This record gives sequence, structure tokens and C-alpha cells, in this order.
Amino acid sequence: MQMRLMDYTKFRPKPAEEISEVFQRVNRIFILSCGKCFKKFEEEDEGQYAQLLETLGADRTKVVGHTQVDFLCNEFLSGKRISDLDLSRCDSIGVTSCGLGVQFVARLLERTPVYALADSVPHSPNYPAEVGYHGISLEEEKCAACGQCYLNLTGGICPITNCAKGLLNGPCGGATDGKCEVNSSVDCAWVRIHERLKKRGEQSASEYVQPRDYSRPSWKVTNGLSLQNQALRGGGFYGGFHPLENKEATADKRVERFPEPQVAVIFLSQHAGRRAKPVVEPGDKVKVGQKVGEADGFVSSSIHSSISGNVISVEERAYPAAQREELAVVIENDGKNELHPSIQPRDDFEALPKEALLDIIKESGIVGLGGAMFPTHVKFSPPRPVDTLLVNGCECEPYLNTDNRLMIEHPEEILAGISIVQKILGVDKVFVGVEENKPEAIAALSRFSDKYPSVELVSLKTKYPQGAERSLIKRILDRDVPPPPKGLPFDVGVMVSNVGTLFAIYQAVAKGIPLFQRVITVSGEGLTRPGNYLVKIGTPIKDIIQYCFDENVDGLLEKYDVKMGGAIMGIPQASLESSVIKGTTGLTVLKKHPVMASEERDCIKCGRCVEVCPMQLYPLFYGFYGKKGDLAKAVEHKVEECVECGCCEYMCASKIALLSFIRQEKAYARSASKG
Amino acid sequence: MLAVQVKAEAEILPLISSKRLFIFECLGCRDVHYPVEKAAEFMDSLKEEIVGKATLDYLCHREFVHEYVKAYAGEIERAQVILVFSCGVGAQVVSSLLEDRIVYTCCDTLYLNGFQGLTAKEFNCDQCGECYLNYTGGLCPVALCSKNLLNGPCGGSQAGKCEVDPDMPCVWQQIFDRLAKLGQLHTLERLGTPKNWNVSPASSAPEKRLP
Repeated sequence: MQMRLMDYTKFRPKPAEEISEVFQRVNRIFILSCGKCFKKFEEEDEGQYAQLLETLGADRTKVVGHTQVDFLCNEFLSGKRISDLDLSRCDSIGVTSCGLGVQFVARLLERTPVYALADSVPHSPNYPAEVGYHGISLEEEKCAACGQCYLNLTGGICPITNCAKGLLNGPCGGATDGKCEVNSSVDCAWVRIHERLKKRGEQSASEYVQPRDYSRPSWKVTNGLSLQNQALRGGGFYGGFHPLENKEATADKRVERFPEPQVAVIFLSQHAGRRAKPVVEPGDKVKVGQKVGEADGFVSSSIHSSISGNVISVEERAYPAAQREELAVVIENDGKNELHPSIQPRDDFEALPKEALLDIIKESGIVGLGGAMFPTHVKFSPPRPVDTLLVNGCECEPYLNTDNRLMIEHPEEILAGISIVQKILGVDKVFVGVEENKPEAIAALSRFSDKYPSVELVSLKTKYPQGAERSLIKRILDRDVPPPPKGLPFDVGVMVSNVGTLFAIYQAVAKGIPLFQRVITVSGEGLTRPGNYLVKIGTPIKDIIQYCFDENVDGLLEKYDVKMGGAIMGIPQASLESSVIKGTTGLTVLKKHPVMASEERDCIKCGRCVEVCPMQLYPLFYGFYGKKGDLAKAVEHKVEECVECGCCEYMCASKIALLSFIRQEKAYARSASKG
Repeated sequence: MLAVQVKAEAEILPLISSKRLFIFECLGCRDVHYPVEKAAEFMDSLKEEIVGKATLDYLCHREFVHEYVKAYAGEIERAQVILVFSCGVGAQVVSSLLEDRIVYTCCDTLYLNGFQGLTAKEFNCDQCGECYLNYTGGLCPVALCSKNLLNGPCGGSQAGKCEVDPDMPCVWQQIFDRLAKLGQLHTLERLGTPKNWNVSPASSAPEKRLP
């Protein structure tokens, strides 16, 4: 469908004589120009500054500096950028933007005169009666936000923004050949309304409209709405948003043990770092909890069998966390469920020294279960001491209840896990962050607050991506972790661990059970048996999905997307042939939408991606330069600092596949830095 | 960015009584202001009549709506009325794509400061086309004075509050304070020319300005 994109840039330069009047009042002026809004993104620099210099003529010598600030009305980011500027040499600031940008800069720099070098532009053929707003698109339709919508009477054509006289009870009678008498280049709105109603088979002008209430909405109401909105968006950390949580379907479901798999496909790479070395061969008999892969080097992790049976093969299989094949140990279940003799509870675990605890964690193959799968024994050996442990029980991903259920059903084990980690790290202070949409989990944990006085439970206002460790550290401790790829939480003295990992640590240390099973949530659309299941690592994804669906799931991927993880950060599965790994937080099944994110669409500079990026980046550049193939430019715009939380793509008003561009650009940055 | 509220049921129900309905719901600006629960409640009360529902982000995008109209063609065909939950832009886009179908909106669109930008704000720009901020210390009398006065206060404000709306600060008081701080009170001596309310919008006729 060919689109006609309107240019809704909200400002144009002031006439030369007005600008020259401003320049008579100043001696040394610094120019801030706004990277224009709401226009098809074609150039990063739209030449406003060059145009201004041309207009200035001899006055240009008074300009002491210039910066383009994209989306000047984003107060948080623009405020930071402006406060980083050296404005000591200027006596005033000139701003090229709409009235919002000028007013914002004037408020920010209270002691410096701020001048507008542009006029805002009314985008309504019916100005001054109404200003027309265009939503988050570049379509022709506009809305006056009058608060008393007339569209149900006028065939879906707004007489307020389209009739030059704003008439509500029919045409003025002055139209000629269907054109407006005020502006003959515009169609008469009432002729269009009449035609539309005829097409719809509705009676034209069937009833009189009561006189319109033209009073301005009360300042208290509009300002209250604005403040409410700011509080909602700004809560705790910059960026993020509030997705529909969709957690109800499984929030109250107890964790059930999932049936034993007939065949388990256990990948040897279920962690960040080097793949584990296989220590079994086809034909070997293995028992539950027996080691089948040995950690290969420091940043690696051991792998254990989740069932008892015979090793059929060690071969490459479809890997769920990326579009590739990975080496896996394939084991056929003998149905006996025999435990390996190494699994023995340790009654004396509280007396074990730090080194022994770390060794157990390493031997048990524990990795970060929030999804990152970083080997825990490596993470807990930070190069610098930390002073605080943050326990992540946010689970801000829609649909998932894995951590929620663990907190409800095993609060004491999680707290005991915390004590073990406290001992390893030598930290006194522990915060457990839980989003307030999990009241049961909060209640369960707080039952033991007397027994664990150093652990403070923090109830957090729900917001995505609160569970991202940087957001959580900012929210709870107000500390800023330096940007990736180099900055890590221990740089600010913090260690973050997920509740699932802590539960696994307790299981390993106290019960001697290595990591061969985990809780996952299976939820989404169209499922007949959504739930929370304790599954063996290596259980085929297809078995799980089939268990939760009534109909045969062979053709499922034609109608549904299956993601490993939640709806936002989950990894889409190209087939159901893969199996559960340690980082599988859940399986989310979603109906395919008629409109999917695409690399082809054009950015319209709505700025929403900038508003939601918790890393305070400008993701629109990643789409723009990614499409152009100019990956180096994306690196200039700090693509390496992206944490791939997916907020930008989720919010993108043009449904641009930003994450796919970002991943390409980050790969390019990594290869470039290696030389 | 637009904020909406659900219309009173009494306004909608007579239009749709015992008709088969198809619903378009826009969640694109949910983080700005969209009463998800109120809308769901209303839709739930209509569930007997609903033959289909499409939920999408950004109903204001013609291309997206076009794809959904294709994907839900059967259900839309069976419906007698298409109901839209979105701002006025979304409702107009749906109407223009389904020209011969009855399309009704269930929402009123609300005014929110900072509309034309990215987020809600405590200040505003009325897009008047003739920026006065250079004479008013960067505070806008067009958007923030109840009487739109451009040459100074009306004299009715009390303790810095507007006489029309006592919750609202008098912007002329704020302008005076700001200019005093900047040592620029002399700019107030300039007598402005009458405002040209005829400044034409960007999208139509040629630009008209004061000579």
C-alpha cells in the first residue's frame, strides 16, 4: 500500500527581520536546534543551522556555538545534553524548535535569556478555532481533542478539523463545486460528510447537534493529567513502559511436575562462555544428576543428565536460544528415574567455607536463570568487592510467572539461598525487588523477615524493563552502572541475582541437586492448559506445547509464534524441534499479527523509541543507518550500549524491526573492535 | 500523542442496539492515557453482539489498519457496525478505509498539555504560528493565559493565581518574575501589534503574515 506521508514538523524559521531584531539584543549567542519531529526520516541534519547562518548574514559573528539536540522536548535527555554544554561564553541562547522546546530551555536555564528563532506551525486548516493533532502517524486525518467526539454523527469525518468554520450542523452554503469558500484548495468538509453518509446508507444530518461546549478544560484537569502521565512514565528509572501483563492465566497455578520426556536433548552449551566437553559416549548408561559435560575453562559450566537412561548420540541439534545448531547429548529414558549416587544432602552446609560453596555451585552447573545464563561461580568471583546484593524478583516480562511461583511456594529456600550468597560475597545488605503486581510473593517472603533481618523486601511499581539489572540498580539504589559493553554492576559495588538462581543454589548446596530441572511458565494465546511446570532440562519444546494444546501442534507455527521466554524479550522459535535449556524462563505462544515488525518501513521520527529506551539511547538511528547499511554510523550513536531489552521495537510506531538492525550493528562493532 | 476516555454508554447504546459488532481497539498510546479496564468492561457488556475484535497499536497508521481490515475481512463483513476504541485520528482512519460501512467511535479525545511533542508537560504550545516567547521570558501567554492576553496581565489575578481558574498560576505574574530575574523588564515596554489570528496552517494556503 503506497503511503503519502505528511510533514508535521512543528516549526519553521522566523522571518529574517524578526531574527535580526533578536540579534540586535544579543552579543554572544549559542544556538540549539531541535532535530525535527514527525517527518519522514531522510537526513540526520536537516540543514536548519546552515539555513539560519545564511539568514543571519553579518550577524553570524555573534554565534558562539551550535548543537543539534534531537527531540528537544524530551526534557530528561535534552536537559542532560544541555547541561553538558559549555555555555560560559554566551550571553543568551537561541532555540530553533516549536514552542515546547523554547519553553523547556527557558525553564532549564532560568538565568540566561532564551530566544525563539522559529515559529510553531498550526497543522489545522481550521486554525485558530482549533489546533489539529495527528496522533503518532503522518496521515492526513487530524483530531482537535475537543473531548466531545462528533464522528458518530458525521460519517467519521471531523467537521471541527476539516470545516474552515467548524460548523457542526451542516454546511454554510458557501461551497462551490465541493470546494471550501474560505480556501478553494480544500474540499468542503460537509460535502464530504454528506457523500460518506450516503455511501454508508445513513440519513444525512438526521439530528441537530447541541451547541458545543467551547470552554477550555480546567487547568487542574489538564495539568493533573500531564503530571499523572509524567509520574507513570518517569517512575524509578528513565524509559521503559507498561505492557499488558497477561499474567492472570498462570499466576495462581501451582507448579506441577511435567511428565518425564521419552528422550532428553541436553545441550552442552547452556551458558555464556565455552561449551562443556562431553564426558559420555553413545551407549553409556546415565543416571539422574550424573555429569554429562565438563566445564571447559573458567567461563564455562558443567552439564548434568536430567533423566536416567541410555546415551543414544552426541550430535548437533536445533538450539533454542539462537538460529543455529549446537552439540547435544541425546538420552533415551529408561523410565526408572534412578538418582546418581553423588546426589546427597548436606546437613552441614551452613558451616561450609566460601570456597567450598563456590565449588559446589560450579560443580552443580548453576548459571543465571533469568535468561542470561552467565556461569554463577564466575559472576560471584568479582574482581572488585561488592557491598550490596540485589535479588531480582521483578519478572516484568508479560505472561511469565516462573519467579512469582517460586517466591510463593519456596520463600524459605530462596532466603536460605540468599544467605549462602551473602557468605560467598561477604555482603551485609540485601534487597529483594518484587513488583507490586505480585502481592502473594511479597506476603510469602515477608513471613520470614524476622529470621533474615539483613534482607529488605522492596515492593516496586510495575514497569518494563525493571528486571533489567541496570534499571533495578537505578530504581532501588539510585546508582548508575557505566554503559555496556564494559560497565558491569560490580563497578558500582552491586551484585544482582535472580530468585530462580538463588533457589537453584539452595538446591545444589543443601540438597546436593545439580541444575537439571527448572520451573517454566507456558502461557499465551490459544492454550488449553497454560501453567507453571517443573521440567527436566532437555525436554523437547514440542512435547510441552502439545501437552498444553488440545489440537495437534504440527502446523502450529503457521498461525502462532512460539517464543522461548516472554512476549517481549523472548526468542522466536523457527521450529518446535528444540528443547528446554537452563535459560528457558518460559514458553509464550502468541497469535501471529497481520502486521509484523519489518526492516523495510520508514521511520517517521515520532521519538517514541527515545522515550522508552532505558539506556537513554536514540534507537531511531539504528533503524535508519541499519537500513542504509552504514553500520559505522550506528556505532557512533553508541549501539554497543544497547541491552536489547526490546522496548524500542515494541513501541515503534512504524513497526520497524529495530532489534534485528541492532544485533547486526553490535556484531559489526564487536568485529571492528577486534580489528 | 493523544489521550482518550470512553464515552458514556447512553450515547453509544442507542446507536448499536442488537446489532452485530466488530471492534477495533488501539493500544498504541496506552502509556499516555487509555482506560484499558473501562473499555474492557464496556466491551464485555456487549460480548453477545461482538463477532470479532482486532487489537493493535497505532490505529492512526493507515497501512496497519489496511492489513487488519484484510485479515479480518470475514468478521467485518458479518458485522453491522464497526466500533472503534481510539482517539479521533484512529476513528477517522478506520472510517476512511471502510467508507461504505457504519463506523462509530466509543471514545472522546482529551486535551493534554504538550500534545504536539513527545510527552505530557506542565507547559504547552498552542502552535499559534507567531511565537511570542522572545518578549515574555520564555513563558507562553497564548497557551497559558486564560484570556490569551499578549500585552500584560488583566489585573484580576490574586496572589499569583488566575481569576478565571484559581488553580492555575497567572502566567503574566510568572513572566514578570522571570524577566525581573533576567534584568529584562524593559522588554515589557514594547507594545505588541495585534495578533494575526489568520496565520495560515502549514498544510494549506500560502503563508500570510503581518506586513
